[in-house]
Amino acid sequence: MPDDVLVLAEKLSKVYGDVVPTPALTDVSFSLGCNEFASIIGRSGSGKSTLLNLIGLLDTPTSGRLLLNDRDTAGLDRDGRAKLRNTFVGFVFQFHHLLPEFSVIENVCMPAIIRGERQSAELLDRARDTLDTLALTDVADKNANEISGGQKQRVAIARALMNRPQLVLADEPTGNLDTENTDLVYELFRKVNREWGTGFLIVTHDRAIAQQTDRIIELSDGRLVQDVADPGADLPAESRGA
Amino acid sequence: MLSFRIAVRFLRTSPGQSVLIIAGIAVGIAVQIFVGTLITSLQANLLDTTIGNASHVTLQNADDKKPLLYTPAIRRVLASDTRVKLIVPDRVLSVIFSKGTDSAPINVVGAAPSDINAIYKMKRHLVSGRLVSAAGDVILGKSFAAKYQLKPGDPVLVVLPGGEQQKLTLVGIFDVGTSAVNDRIGFTTPDFPRRALGMAASEYSDIQTQLTDPFRSQAVIRSWEGLEVFKGVQFKDWQVENAQLLVGLQSQGSSSYMIQAFVLIAVALGIASTLAISAVQKTRQIGILKAMGLTDRRAGLVFLWEAAVLGGCGTLLGLVFGVGLLQLFALGPLTFPIVLDPAFVAGSCAIGVAVALLSAIIPSRGTSRLDPIEVIQGAG
Repeated sequence: MPDDVLVLAEKLSKVYGDVVPTPALTDVSFSLGCNEFASIIGRSGSGKSTLLNLIGLLDTPTSGRLLLNDRDTAGLDRDGRAKLRNTFVGFVFQFHHLLPEFSVIENVCMPAIIRGERQSAELLDRARDTLDTLALTDVADKNANEISGGQKQRVAIARALMNRPQLVLADEPTGNLDTENTDLVYELFRKVNREWGTGFLIVTHDRAIAQQTDRIIELSDGRLVQDVADPGADLPAESRGA
Repeated sequence: MLSFRIAVRFLRTSPGQSVLIIAGIAVGIAVQIFVGTLITSLQANLLDTTIGNASHVTLQNADDKKPLLYTPAIRRVLASDTRVKLIVPDRVLSVIFSKGTDSAPINVVGAAPSDINAIYKMKRHLVSGRLVSAAGDVILGKSFAAKYQLKPGDPVLVVLPGGEQQKLTLVGIFDVGTSAVNDRIGFTTPDFPRRALGMAASEYSDIQTQLTDPFRSQAVIRSWEGLEVFKGVQFKDWQVENAQLLVGLQSQGSSSYMIQAFVLIAVALGIASTLAISAVQKTRQIGILKAMGLTDRRAGLVFLWEAAVLGGCGTLLGLVFGVGLLQLFALGPLTFPIVLDPAFVAGSCAIGVAVALLSAIIPSRGTSRLDPIEVIQGAG
């Protein structure tokens, strides 16, 4: 276990529904250190996205404990959770979720503006730097609807990185992209992980992609069944992905 | 001001929807200002025509057949009452006007020329000639003078109640806009009717008073009735004399309020439904913003700002439409002046914005409660 722990999950469980309780996650415990580049794999319905949503404070666990940066999230109210989402986590979803009413650079600036920063020249410079890193310099002033699918997903990544979060949570980030763009996105994740020290937790059903990460956390029927560091050296023989 | 920026951007990306709702608010506020001002102006004019040139509280002897003694004590009480703005003691003499074979009954009111001018605004209403100044002078209404082909300088022969004939001189012709006065009343100095009626110097037919607030006439009468100085005096209240008019005015006012209220309800429903649609249309965006850390309060403010911008623009446009419409209407053949009350206009504008804000409460609360996970899972 790494010395600096970003995420500490202790017996996390999530049950949906009151009339017919449906467990989505059962007693999942693990920790994620700073600068880790890890993935969560599992079949559809195995609880991958549920776990990611709990860690990203988009959802609340039915039981168990979740600490982010040594801070217990149980006592946080809705505003406290929103603030931590804004500063600690960057999200990248399968669908880019850009705001069509705003330009590319405005979308990228949004997390910083939500945090309370003014739209100053300094902020715009930082946004342009981030866009440069993701090879999006030319589309900065275009409307979010006027760029290609691959570019949109990279803009979503730039937006996730804008507040320089300690942790990026990515849920099937390349699910809608072609091979070329998929490779590009993972190269960018790696680059940011190495250069900025940002931790990554990537949900994927693609074992080949998971093998590119430093650690694979595997879920099945809502339970953690395998947690493999350096997966390249010790791969499960059977491919369970789609 | 992030919520404001998002609100404005949402509105700008749906220009058709925004323009329609602004137009809806504008029409509502314009109707509110137009109808409200028109009815208020009409009522003010009716009131002014009815009681502007008339007594609000009239003092008479309790015995109708006897003159009223205008004692120094009554004079002091009336003069010291700040609610009273005008006191006109007068004498009314019923005579028969006679010209050739024509004759007509006429009441000649004798009062100080300055008092006649004060209560009837006679200088303003004089259409030819001058006001009375000497004993034997008389002024008559325009319609009466026209009917009997009289002009200033002509002699006016009248037959007194005792049958004695008296010659007066017509010095002026007036038009107060009320046929009851124009057709049947002449004004002269106090001495002519006093001599004809055989009254003492301190005796009058009645004392007309005008109040600073005519609608307080009942309270004024109540406060006077118990005073010793008014023993044997009866009071006539304009509100009792014009009860039907007051009922008419109140009904008119109620109709006006109903129209305005229903227009505002229609506007409110229009804004609320549009904002509700907008809130549904923007659910995904709000969910994403919340996933990025936008708090519930700031998310809720987005639709309040939308409502404020729509309400503000619509109200401003409605103000221009409403005032413009009134100006246009005033160019037509109106029989009364349109008076724009700044307080009413400001109130209408405030109501417009307030209604818009109230209409945003439901979509705003819905947005505030929205859980980002609903949007994230829904999109997956």
